[in-house]
Amino acid sequence: MAKLYVQTVPPPDLNKNTEWFMYPGVWSTYILILFFSWLLVLSVFGSTPGMAWTVVNLCHFAITYYFFHWKKGTPFAEDQGIYNNLTWWEQMDNGKQLTRNRKFLTVVPVVLYLIALHTTDYQHSMLFLNTLAVAILVVAKFPNMHKVRIFGING
Amino acid sequence: MVRLPYLTALTTLFSYGLLFAFGQLRDFFRKIIDWSKSTSKGLKGYAPICLGLEDFYTRRLYLRIQDCFSRPIASAPDAWIDVVERYSNDNNKTLHRTSNTTKCLNLGSYNYLGFAAADEYCTPRVIESLKKYSSSTCSIRVDGGTTDLHNELEELLARFVGKPAAITFGMGYVTNSAIIPILIGKGGLIISDSLNHNSIVNGARGSGAAVRVFQHNNPSHLEEVLRELIAEGQPRTHRPWKKIIVIVEGIYSMEGELCQLPEIISVCKKYKAYTYLDEAHSIGAVGKTGRGVCELLGVDPADVDIMMGTFTKSFGSCGGYIAASKEIIRYLKYSCPAHLYATSMSPPAVQQVISAIKVILGEDGSSRGAQKLAHIRENSNFFRSELQKMGFEVLGDSDSPVMPIMLYNPAKIPAFSRECLKQNVAIVTVAFPATPLLLARARICISAAHSREDLIKGLEVISKVGDLVGIKYFPAEPPQHQEQGHKKLE
Repeated sequence: MAKLYVQTVPPPDLNKNTEWFMYPGVWSTYILILFFSWLLVLSVFGSTPGMAWTVVNLCHFAITYYFFHWKKGTPFAEDQGIYNNLTWWEQMDNGKQLTRNRKFLTVVPVVLYLIALHTTDYQHSMLFLNTLAVAILVVAKFPNMHKVRIFGING
Repeated sequence: MVRLPYLTALTTLFSYGLLFAFGQLRDFFRKIIDWSKSTSKGLKGYAPICLGLEDFYTRRLYLRIQDCFSRPIASAPDAWIDVVERYSNDNNKTLHRTSNTTKCLNLGSYNYLGFAAADEYCTPRVIESLKKYSSSTCSIRVDGGTTDLHNELEELLARFVGKPAAITFGMGYVTNSAIIPILIGKGGLIISDSLNHNSIVNGARGSGAAVRVFQHNNPSHLEEVLRELIAEGQPRTHRPWKKIIVIVEGIYSMEGELCQLPEIISVCKKYKAYTYLDEAHSIGAVGKTGRGVCELLGVDPADVDIMMGTFTKSFGSCGGYIAASKEIIRYLKYSCPAHLYATSMSPPAVQQVISAIKVILGEDGSSRGAQKLAHIRENSNFFRSELQKMGFEVLGDSDSPVMPIMLYNPAKIPAFSRECLKQNVAIVTVAFPATPLLLARARICISAAHSREDLIKGLEVISKVGDLVGIKYFPAEPPQHQEQGHKKLE
């Protein structure tokens, strides 16, 4: 098989916490991880495909909400704490809204939601959980929610 | 501009994700296990030393491969070096030194011209100056720390670099971080290359001026950034900037590339911005007579406003210098804190630089300087072309003695480093945060002290380890063409 090469110019993003997201292959890796985790859940629990997609959707919600919208700052000390009040989502792309990366990350939970609903045949219990998860995620990613802390939680 | 196979990009991201997930998992369990212990601690009311997750990278990623960094050495960093063996009982959290050393081929020290080991011209003079002036002046420059050696060094340096005057400091990092705040302050603008060294970043942050970054080595992006910023003016008031300084480096130590100096200087002249050139890795190592990147690229030193360099790389000493016009140097002498409050350079170190410059210029009466410069150029070009023929991805321009070999995957960093050490080759690997997250590399610094046999042995070992670790990302050139070429010559 011929090796596919990608070329990249390192982007001038000084925040080392978010600049890794601008390299080629990130989107594919994200999608592949979701797909393989669905296969894993399916094989370990032996559940129906719809149940597995719901599990993946909810775990994805928990993990991405925690790391993108709850944890603040950066995991290293070199930047001397200038991002200590910003979550990862707010640090992305230097705070610029509606960039390609942000749009991609907003679309992924919605697509997962649609797949989960479709494969569970719109049963009410699953519908409720999935809708809650995707609503919280999408609202958190709105441009108007930049640096907003509801009731001062996580401020 | 780096090219990497798509599969490598995917696996590198996945590996980092896995390492991150494991680190978080271990942190989570650590918090649960320590819950019971923490209630009996006596430090109530004090703020924690590390805020949030600040030390996550150090604890969970760096400490796992700690034995690949900070290896202690037990001899002078010549072409062959004695590396102290270390062992760990708790999975690399703490390392203990043994008293055994292994002699390894040194491909990591910045020993470009071979002055790191004893030299027949420099060492006797250094020992003499040690006996005459003792090992420290025990004073700051303005009080009693300026010996005639310091004055001689500054004049010789100014003549060598091609500027009217120069000033020296005891430490290379401090030269950048203490000078930049003096040259520019609030209301000024610093535009620095995106891959500049940490000392420049610290100096720029400490100055209080606005700092903007342009895409690495890209004169057209620099022009775009300059135009936009000059049109906008200062952040809130939109008044014109008081001063604009553009900071670039001669050779970028993590990429091995040369700066595109002529184009950048012409852009700066067009928009009337000052230029600051950091020649830490290029002074003494490139150029026909070793005068650095200005000579190599044909730029008149008078066009660069401030030239900075260090003595640690090519001259085998320690310290840094600034060379500029007489007025700037006089201003620095009465305002720079590194000159007014820091101890002056140690006299034997000064003598080492003086002797090294004399050897390079040929003023010691022999042609060793020219030989060393030719040697390092041949060695670098030979090594780089051989590595590229083997299929490694090597960055950097030809003639540059710094060559990074790309590793990408985080697991390959300790694999490459440890395998090379087992075969007696000492290599420096660089990972995050000195480089971008995905672009981990092994950096090789060629020296004039390496003989052809040393380089061939190094190439063999690197090739074997490269096969084992799997970093030959490009197809290797078949060796048959080389054999045919040799046969034709004979």
